[in-house]
Amino acid sequence: MSIPTTIGWAHHSMPPHALAYNVVPARQSLARPMPPAAEQPVPAPKARKVQWSQPVRDYVQRAFAAENALEGIGQEEMQTKLKQVISYFAERDMLDTIDWERHPLPQHLIAEERQAAAMASTMNGYGWTNNAVPIHLSFPTGTTNTASSPPSSKKRKSMDDQLTEPAEEAIPPWRKANRNAFEDRITYSHGPNDKRHKKNDFNAGNGSSKFSQADLEKRKARFRTEMPGNQTTPPWASPRNDSDSENPTGPVIGTNQELLKNYLRLTAPPKPETVRPQHVLEKTLELLKKKWRYESNYNYICDQFKSLRQDLTVQHIKNAFTVSVYEIHARIALEKGDLGEYNQCQTQLRALYSQKLGGHPAEFLAYRILYYVYTCNQTDMNDLLAELTPADKSQQAVKHALDVRSALALGNYHRFFRLYLAAPYMGAYLMDMFIERERLAALANISRAYMTVQLRFITDELGFDSDADCFEFLRSHGAQYLVIHAEGEPARVNVKDAKNLFEQLRAAAFKTVDIKGQI
Amino acid sequence: MQAALEPFRQAHRAMNGYEVADSLKPIAPRHDPGRLYTFYRASNAHQVESEIRYALKYSKSSGLTRNESSAWTEVLVSYWKAIGEILAIEEATNQGRLCDGQWTAVYDAWKEVTNNLIKHYSNGNLPAWTIVCLYVAGTYLRTFAIKADEQLAKAKGGVTFNSGFQDDVVDSMAKNEKLEDAARQLNRMFSLCIGDRNPIMESRKWGTYYMANLQFKTYFKLKAIGLSKNVVRSINASDLPPLENFPKSHQVTFKYYTGVLAFLQEDYAQAETHLTEAWRLCHKDATKNQELILTYLIPCRLVARHTVPTSALLAHFPHLQQLFSPLVTCIKRGDLSGFDNALIACEDEFVKRRIYLTLERTRDIALRNLLRKVFIAGGYEPLKEGQTDADRIRRTRIPVAEFAAAFRIGMSGEGTGQVLEDDEVECMIANMIYKGLLKGYISRERSMVVLNKKGAFPGTGV
Repeated sequence: MSIPTTIGWAHHSMPPHALAYNVVPARQSLARPMPPAAEQPVPAPKARKVQWSQPVRDYVQRAFAAENALEGIGQEEMQTKLKQVISYFAERDMLDTIDWERHPLPQHLIAEERQAAAMASTMNGYGWTNNAVPIHLSFPTGTTNTASSPPSSKKRKSMDDQLTEPAEEAIPPWRKANRNAFEDRITYSHGPNDKRHKKNDFNAGNGSSKFSQADLEKRKARFRTEMPGNQTTPPWASPRNDSDSENPTGPVIGTNQELLKNYLRLTAPPKPETVRPQHVLEKTLELLKKKWRYESNYNYICDQFKSLRQDLTVQHIKNAFTVSVYEIHARIALEKGDLGEYNQCQTQLRALYSQKLGGHPAEFLAYRILYYVYTCNQTDMNDLLAELTPADKSQQAVKHALDVRSALALGNYHRFFRLYLAAPYMGAYLMDMFIERERLAALANISRAYMTVQLRFITDELGFDSDADCFEFLRSHGAQYLVIHAEGEPARVNVKDAKNLFEQLRAAAFKTVDIKGQI
Repeated sequence: MQAALEPFRQAHRAMNGYEVADSLKPIAPRHDPGRLYTFYRASNAHQVESEIRYALKYSKSSGLTRNESSAWTEVLVSYWKAIGEILAIEEATNQGRLCDGQWTAVYDAWKEVTNNLIKHYSNGNLPAWTIVCLYVAGTYLRTFAIKADEQLAKAKGGVTFNSGFQDDVVDSMAKNEKLEDAARQLNRMFSLCIGDRNPIMESRKWGTYYMANLQFKTYFKLKAIGLSKNVVRSINASDLPPLENFPKSHQVTFKYYTGVLAFLQEDYAQAETHLTEAWRLCHKDATKNQELILTYLIPCRLVARHTVPTSALLAHFPHLQQLFSPLVTCIKRGDLSGFDNALIACEDEFVKRRIYLTLERTRDIALRNLLRKVFIAGGYEPLKEGQTDADRIRRTRIPVAEFAAAFRIGMSGEGTGQVLEDDEVECMIANMIYKGLLKGYISRERSMVVLNKKGAFPGTGV
């Protein structure tokens, strides 16, 4: 046993019989040594004849198992600790109430104490190690709080982090005395989990010392009964047994009731408290739809949808609702021309549709065709054509998209721009992605085949809303000089003079189609 | 076991790589249909290793070094196990009670054989002249992977869903788990061959093209054609002996695949070069392969050179004739709706072969031929004074309406539902001009197409 720990013990007046000897340390703090709790019987350990139950034996076995050995913690040290742990609970007749399977192994306890000790010594500079409490033993001490300063709730959270069940709900009030600032600082040194705890610790208010001893006891009892049934307690509550108790394949069952949540990429399985169940998500979707309609803040909406999708995923929700979430997100992404995000949804939808979960497969199939038209990916387009069934082809939207494809393949810009004006659903948004490119291609075409044409002809052929739009398009590509406004005659365009210009613009426009997350 | 290993030992003694590889095939040779069975029965799981080791090491005539002998032992033991799985599946199939995952077991067992071979080639225990064994391993690894995937797909649906904590629901669209794994193994074998630094006469480099071809085949099957480019790239960057020095079969297949790859990237000039070479090298009796080459070479030449295959050529390949001759006829005749129908009739086959989108573009030639007919039917300009018949020129100013009429012939047929606007006719003519199939310009005011007096349709004699 390391010296700091011993001091800590003494300081906190831990029941001395937990050790094989009595320590009488020099007093190092101004806090009064606490008298042993009155209601705590002190049985003579030696006299007891103990029948070890199976869980306890398993626990011991695990403690000795080679794979659980920790570097830097010797066998002897571990054994001493193990003895302490078991005898401590045995003396209190609590061997049966402890969840041995989850109880931290002695070597972990040692490691933790050491860490705390190290932390403390760096904090106060002279090795004052008050916080190096042997954590496993802090269970029901029942000492009264003599130094009564109100503990902060933050501390509670940090404790949640470090302790496993037996200890976590019973932080003796005295532990909180006088050391607020001190422990506060330690709180944040215990790993990445504390942020989450801050948000979700629903017990936060309970640890206050204003509760009477009776209250504390009652609460203790309450938690103890809950423990066995508390199966959903996720593994991240005890970072120690990550490896064996974690089962990443099981779906999380969310408990979060908040409608909105920012997206955060997960690097570990999420806590149920942070995940919203489907009935909440359904409300979220409605809210998001409304927000999109009235606020149209795309970045915000996209972020919200991503967290929505994440919640669906971690809970393994795959049904009509999932489909509608992806469909709506895909449509919003289309509307804003965010093809990267659209793409992700599209990929997911493809798989979801294959599971026959409803939704609008034809609509999105049509989008996919248009998307491949945009990316000019002949191989993918071919694969898609190979998948099409006659039933697919009879769908109006799919037929439209296929017509778009063939019109472009045959260079029939006349038909292409007619189709552009008649695109069903949100096809026009996708076609917007390549409409400029195709206009340039058509102009390259026209400029070789005609000498001069009316501006109105180009407006009509290339699907512009008005002559002004058409002129603006020409102007933005540096071709306004072609347009001749003669008195009393409709405006004409000398297309022939710009055939090289249009050819260059066309080639440049087709050169790169670069989309984030391209499928 | 001594007797069962005799073919292997004979082949090894004769230093005949192909025969050594034959003795490692997971199918029985025609002259000895019971070979697998005999081989498997020659031992049992308990003793197989020691028996094979003994047979290889202590027989008088083996002449194997210690390392090579233990390498072959390991290979042969895993081979023996794989044969066990294969016989089990044969039996189960015959009795009609094939279990789920049985092909996976075969695949895994065969993968073990492959891994042992890879291991011992890479640490130099096996001589390069036996590299053919690697071919056998790779070929059957691919076959078994496909079978295993078929069985897996039947057992569970296509899509796998995410079970971790990723952002999205669906994990991947992959339903070719084993074949993807096989592709990785093939890639290892490919690197094993291409990266060999031994003197060229005893180098595994000679296996490079065979492995590359297997990879192409696998990537095409996986619809991951893009990955083939990496193979081509690393071959181009390596210091392999010239392709002509490799076995012809390797050359033909490699040329074929590089041709098809270029074809799919719409680089028809490259594609034509490679495919023509493959066609030239292809064995005269390998009709299946010739047919495959022509499947791409014909569309390639149609698009790039506007040359149609002769009926004499197509006559040799009934299947190709059925696919291409209606198209070819319509192209020659300038029959647009006939062309469209022919394309639709074989659409599935064309799409499957990935030539649909290319063939679609040959409609331009049909269209050109149609316009040309109109031009020829338009006759000649009236002779001016002093001109003789030799001086007469064709009428080069043709009303758009005449072309439109030609378009509409045959288009009025029921079912097409296509109504052709005059603007659309103009658009198609503009396209012809743009693509250089037609020389001239359109005058919109007069609704006239003014054709070039000398060679309105380049390359067609008028």
